[in-house]
Amino acid sequence: MKHFVDGLHALAMTLRNGFRKPTTVEFPDVIRPRAERYRTTFSLLYDEQGDQLCIGCLQCERICPSEVIAIKAAGKKESPVTGKKRGYADDFVLDLAACIYCELCVQVCPVDAIVMTREPETPTFSREDLVLTMERLYANGKNRQRAWSDGTKLMAMQEAGRAAPPPKAAHHAKAAEPAKTAAVEKAPAAEKAPEAAKANEPAKAPEPPAAPATTAPTGTEAKP
Amino acid sequence: MLQTLQVERRVDPHLSIDRYDPEAELLLLHMGPQHPATHGVFRMDLYLDGEIVVKAVPYVGYLHRSVEKLCEKLTYSQVTPIVDKNDYVSPMTNEQAINMAFEKLLGIEVPRRARWMRLVFAELQRIASHLLWLGTFAMDLGGALGGGSTVFIHSFREREMIMDLFEEISGARFHYNTHTIGGNRHDIPAGWAGRVKQALDVIEARIGEYEAMSLHNRIFVQRTRGVGVIDAGLALELGLTGPMLRACGVDHDLRRDAPFHAYDEVPVNVAVAHGGDCLARAEVRFAELRESVRLVRVTVDSIPEGSINGGKPIKLPNSIKIPPGQTYVGIETPRGELGTYVIADGSANPYRLKIRPPSLHALSALPYMLPGGTVSDALAILGSVDPIMGEADR
Ligand code: SF4
Ligand code: SF4
Repeated sequence: MKHFVDGLHALAMTLRNGFRKPTTVEFPDVIRPRAERYRTTFSLLYDEQGDQLCIGCLQCERICPSEVIAIKAAGKKESPVTGKKRGYADDFVLDLAACIYCELCVQVCPVDAIVMTREPETPTFSREDLVLTMERLYANGKNRQRAWSDGTKLMAMQEAGRAAPPPKAAHHAKAAEPAKTAAVEKAPAAEKAPEAAKANEPAKAPEPPAAPATTAPTGTEAKP
Repeated sequence: MLQTLQVERRVDPHLSIDRYDPEAELLLLHMGPQHPATHGVFRMDLYLDGEIVVKAVPYVGYLHRSVEKLCEKLTYSQVTPIVDKNDYVSPMTNEQAINMAFEKLLGIEVPRRARWMRLVFAELQRIASHLLWLGTFAMDLGGALGGGSTVFIHSFREREMIMDLFEEISGARFHYNTHTIGGNRHDIPAGWAGRVKQALDVIEARIGEYEAMSLHNRIFVQRTRGVGVIDAGLALELGLTGPMLRACGVDHDLRRDAPFHAYDEVPVNVAVAHGGDCLARAEVRFAELRESVRLVRVTVDSIPEGSINGGKPIKLPNSIKIPPGQTYVGIETPRGELGTYVIADGSANPYRLKIRPPSLHALSALPYMLPGGTVSDALAILGSVDPIMGEADR
């Protein structure tokens, strides 16, 4: 009888799942929506006048933990567009095969020249295609949708709110003040808190392990 | 409130029996390194008498990538994305552990907003990690639960939601690099808290389904009850932490006992089970799933305003130099205590960096748990340990 009831339960669950919306998509035809900050391969950008933005400062090459960026800096040259003297990169190679997509090169670029793209995939037919040469990077900048972030935005995000200093609280120290403000801010959490702490108290003493066959969870399971 | 227990010293069983059986009465079975149940590359030598495991000798190191040495070569600003790859089931907690060690040495104060964000990330990551454990554990039990690989597919479906949430934060689905020395790199996008709660609603409702398929499933219980028993004293001696230890009845959780992030402001209910067998470990993880859902619910709305980075944003590789000193920081990851021990010598690179992976210590319990069980029990036990070899071998 018990087996029969179990079987019914299992069947009910199967039925329920049978009518759920599928969670997968038919990949090449349907591409799932990507988050706004989604990031994949790289591109180098031009400025509004069509001049190359990269000044060959080598910051991205130095920060890269995988050492996949290789730049030959050209030194100061006259810009073909504006005629002003400024730095350029003669050659810029980024080997995607070993890139770990950490976004650090984007963050350190002082002129927002290197950005990541928001194209969903970067499949290639050969490993050589994963080596992004300078032409490829600039072509990506032209015909691929760029990702949200660039150096300035990432910096601004991390600098934001710095003007108003946060309440003093050492990282590990039990700061009384923030705790109090927190209790005010999140009333539902604070209400539950003392009870939960109390409920936990008796279970604190280490009990000798019970016989292997008995497993009685005494943990306080959170009831929704 | 760390407890002190009298620990009884025991002889490692794999030292106590001869490694080679001169009469060749035992069958030597090499399990792994490419066995699907080993979650990575992990090898065990099982000495079998019929179907009973007499002795088990685990071998680690197949996934050694020399991360600690690599980190000595890199500068402090470059280390975070590298340690992401250690515990590749919960990258968030890896980043947090390493950055907290650097912050402690530098004396940087992490803004309160960043600490709350880290708490929410850590708890979401715990849900994702335990869901992955559930799926793979059910597969290790033969996939017979609920028919085929149902639990596996179901739990991965819900885990995907959490990866989507992290994707909205950092743009990456897995190796986020969203923590930095002094705080976080990415702020929370608008409307994220609402989407978190939507996802939690779905996940919370489905935890009941998982339980019906596992904890309340006859096959599951028969395969796990009384299997792989470990007692509290041995667990403490071997340095087990996390769900492995709490399943032995030891009430120890760093989130409560040595609060980091904002856990001192948000009380945590620690799940404990008795019995120390595979079923107890599963019960602890299920209770933690529910607890993490509760924690995220109460914290995600009340993340305070303010700055997200208390240090300098990374601009140059060498800009962060840590004065000579050493420190240890341990945090509670889904698998237990992840420790980071750093020695700084005043330069821009760590002089020495040691990572204490909870999985490695958990694996050291295998020689005690496996003997006496059958080969199929061995897989159940290995699954219940929830080892991540990327972290154990580093
Ligand atoms: S995202 Fe890739 S190229 Fe850029 S710093 Fe990281 S590893 Fe290097
Ligand atoms: S891409 Fe940016 S950081 Fe890299 S060399 Fe060019 S200007 Fe410098």
